[in-house]
Amino acid sequence: MNNRASATQRARQSLCLGAGLVAAGIAGSLAALPAFADYEVVTVTNGGTIDGVVSLSGAVPAEAPITTTKNQDYCGSSIANPTYMVDSSGGMANVIVYLKDVTKGKAPSGEPLKLVNEHCMFSPRAQGAMVGEKITISSDDPILHNTHPQSAETNATIYNIALPFKGFSVTKPLPANPELIKVKCDAHEWMHAWIMEIGNPYYTTTDSAGHFTLKDVPPGNYTLQVWHEAAGEKSEPVVVTAGKATKMKITLAAK
Amino acid sequence: MSFRVARLVPFVAGLLLGVGPAVADTGEARDGKVVYDRWCVTCHGAQGNGQGEAAQYMSTKPRDYRQGTFKWRTTPSGSLPLDSDLEHTLLNGIYGTYMPSWGFLGERSREDVIAYIKSFSPRFATEKTQDPISIPPDPGYSDESVTRGTGVYQKYNCSQCHGAGGRGDGPSAHDLKDDWGNEIVPYDLTKGHVKCGDTPTDIYRVFMTGLSGTPMPAFSDSMSPADAWDLVHFIESLSPRYVKNVAGTAANSTARVNP
Repeated sequence: MNNRASATQRARQSLCLGAGLVAAGIAGSLAALPAFADYEVVTVTNGGTIDGVVSLSGAVPAEAPITTTKNQDYCGSSIANPTYMVDSSGGMANVIVYLKDVTKGKAPSGEPLKLVNEHCMFSPRAQGAMVGEKITISSDDPILHNTHPQSAETNATIYNIALPFKGFSVTKPLPANPELIKVKCDAHEWMHAWIMEIGNPYYTTTDSAGHFTLKDVPPGNYTLQVWHEAAGEKSEPVVVTAGKATKMKITLAAK
Repeated sequence: MSFRVARLVPFVAGLLLGVGPAVADTGEARDGKVVYDRWCVTCHGAQGNGQGEAAQYMSTKPRDYRQGTFKWRTTPSGSLPLDSDLEHTLLNGIYGTYMPSWGFLGERSREDVIAYIKSFSPRFATEKTQDPISIPPDPGYSDESVTRGTGVYQKYNCSQCHGAGGRGDGPSAHDLKDDWGNEIVPYDLTKGHVKCGDTPTDIYRVFMTGLSGTPMPAFSDSMSPADAWDLVHFIESLSPRYVKNVAGTAANSTARVNP
């Protein structure tokens, strides 16, 4: 059985490589190849910096607090809604900021990403990642959580790991695709986090004032992309000059 | 060799091997389509999307094959099942659902239909299958192990979904959904059957690998094999219907086939 099946698989792989580019469905599967393969690590000695702020225009949507429905003795009966975290000057937190289509530049940090289950929420809410990077998932809560990343587009499970008690942590690789991952905890249905896989290490997430910095960018013309779970995405052209900081102001509209 | 030629070579090789342009025409998958169209299509649908004509009448929905997501596997959470895992489900059926045992089809037909089912998801062509999790031999059912297993059930907070008594009525039991947005309930462990086989090894595997596509997570990263066997014995203690193996078993024991 195994021999026959593997022969089928080999034949199918051949077909994918041969005819894949003309068949849209099969071509989609080729996207499974890590985008890291398209990125070259070089020593950046004359890099520039992109320094900016992402703001929300107009009134901040009034989001009702999360009403917890289980483990209230630990989680409390309600939790502040984290969808729009906007400060008094409009700066918005939890916006993923990255450069698109960068082919060469600095090395990735090599440190695993972190995703912490704390006080019945995920932290951080949103973060970028190198394609296929490792992620350390941990729990600070004395209750059962499960960390369940799924494709944001199709809901297909990537994996689903139990975090049964406080202090447990595990490190797992992210898959080569999809690009945008939505993480949920089934045991506490209000818990969500977002991870965007990016083909280069020039990504960050805005802080509580909406501020971000991308360092050691080789001089040149780029497209800066921002993404927020509710306010959507936007891209802006940016020119990076050797040894200089380019200032950026990006505004997203509430939806 | 240029990039373009390199891509063409396996294609031409495929033609020389008599492999047609569509996946469904390759060897066993072609024969499997005949089996599928006769026996499987009514529930699982011609597109393999789990939306056959009869699916609307079922509370546990037929599998949608397009994501390559399968509940019952010997492999780690989220990974593809092995052919032998799909064979196990075909042979055993899924207790408490409309999925019967397909033992009468014969091994050859089951192999063919497995090849066809795999053709619905591109993952089987692009991803490597992972090794099964290792399962040490069952040390055997005993009252001492059940007592320890009670502690394991509490320590790992299984009651969050399955409830203090294992009846599937924990605090998180009531608003769970699967990957397809269907409501799904934690299993009532006191029924005395586990859906995908009732041997101690089957029970061990279910909670260690988790049920992909559902809220049931994998515990293989957090639970030791000793704790896991104690938990199996605790679950077995919840119903007289479970076949308790007092003598213990060797690893990789085969599951009992439904009568």
